[in-house]
Amino acid sequence: MMAFARVRPGGVARAVCVMLAGLALAGCGINTIPTLDEQAKAAWSQVLNQYQRRADLIPNLVETVKGFAEQESKVLTEVVEARAKATQVQIPPDILTDPQAFQKFQEAQNNLSGALARLLVVVERYPDIKSNQNFLALQSQLEGTENRIAVARRDYITAVKDYNTELRTIPGRWWRALLYPDAEPMQNFSVAEETTKVPKVEF
Amino acid sequence: MASMVLRIPLAALVVAIGLVLLPASAAPTFPELTGRVVDDAGLLSPEDAEALIAELKALEDKSSDQLVVVTLPSLQGDTIEDFGYQLGRHWGIGTAKLDSGVLLIVAPNERKVRIEVGYGLEPILTDALTKIIIENAILPRFREGNFPGGIKDGVRDIALALTGDAAEVEDRAKARHDADDASIDWVTVLIYLAIFLAITYWVHSRPVDVSRAGRRGKRSSSSSWGSSSGSSGWSSGGGGFSGGGGGFGGGGSSGSW
Repeated sequence: MMAFARVRPGGVARAVCVMLAGLALAGCGINTIPTLDEQAKAAWSQVLNQYQRRADLIPNLVETVKGFAEQESKVLTEVVEARAKATQVQIPPDILTDPQAFQKFQEAQNNLSGALARLLVVVERYPDIKSNQNFLALQSQLEGTENRIAVARRDYITAVKDYNTELRTIPGRWWRALLYPDAEPMQNFSVAEETTKVPKVEF
Repeated sequence: MASMVLRIPLAALVVAIGLVLLPASAAPTFPELTGRVVDDAGLLSPEDAEALIAELKALEDKSSDQLVVVTLPSLQGDTIEDFGYQLGRHWGIGTAKLDSGVLLIVAPNERKVRIEVGYGLEPILTDALTKIIIENAILPRFREGNFPGGIKDGVRDIALALTGDAAEVEDRAKARHDADDASIDWVTVLIYLAIFLAITYWVHSRPVDVSRAGRRGKRSSSSSWGSSSGSSGWSSGGGGFSGGGGGFGGGGSSGSW
């Protein structure tokens, strides 16, 4: 029997093979940008989640403290107002890529953190509050929430770092130019000057 | 009603609020997950450890929750909150589906204890509840220097809290038996398949040696995919305990003495 095969199909198959190999190699790059984008957005949702959780705890906290320390109206009002501002901040859909909107959001939350810290410093002077079961439960919840906020922020920072790096490096740059021209680097949390100084708690 | 000791770590809370704004620190080195009780600080006798392991295993069998006790000689400069959730994630305690892991972490040299709760168990082991367990069951013993006693009581109370509602416990236990989601990346599979077919076609269109004219037809190309590229390799050796891939988000509470 004829044992020589025709060479012609080999040429076509070879070309197809090379093309597919190229596709497969590049295949891992095509999906990276959207994947990292979604991860960063998910991390951001979690951050919002935990900030909201903190905002939800505050009315209870204010009421409990008011029950014992009505005269501290200044600090209490400050907290209530800061919370109102923080929950009223508009969160536009493009907050992650809009530096101003992101900045405003951060500032509102930092204000609330500051007001809370001051409230707790004041509470220190009232042994009745400190021994109140309600307050203690709220306090542990607040501690837990602050911890969760810290964790969520760190997860978000990592996710954004990955995404921004992908956009800036090869081959992410090329994929972005080719397929995702709308992809913008995302905003990240910054540490304000005053807030790095932890307020002193005097006993 | 048990009286709560007035350990208001307001300074700690204020610091925590400040810490929220600090950037992430480098990951510390984590101890090995050698079993359900990792006693690196040497607080437990072998009998204590074995009794605890039996209790923890019973808890997992009943409800699929993974409770791990770990004692650390050093927190390596991290706060116990930072260390806790990172350790939980590193070990992947709890089932991946339910994030049902809990860590009881004791750092005797820094005098800190923490109950780290996975995402899935946060509604049950709330911050307030874990704080109560720490203040009432664990810290009084620790202050007396009775570490095994404190740890045992803590484990007992956590287990009680987790198994309190029988219906809930059953639901969680069922989830463990569900098959893992085998999410296959079909696009990649198809691409590899196409490449393989193309290569096969290419190989078989090459000229065949005349001297083998006796053999008709193609050599059977035995496709050996080989072992599937499984990326899930739970090494269940050495005691047979490993994490289920659960996640942690910073829930739980800490105490110090």
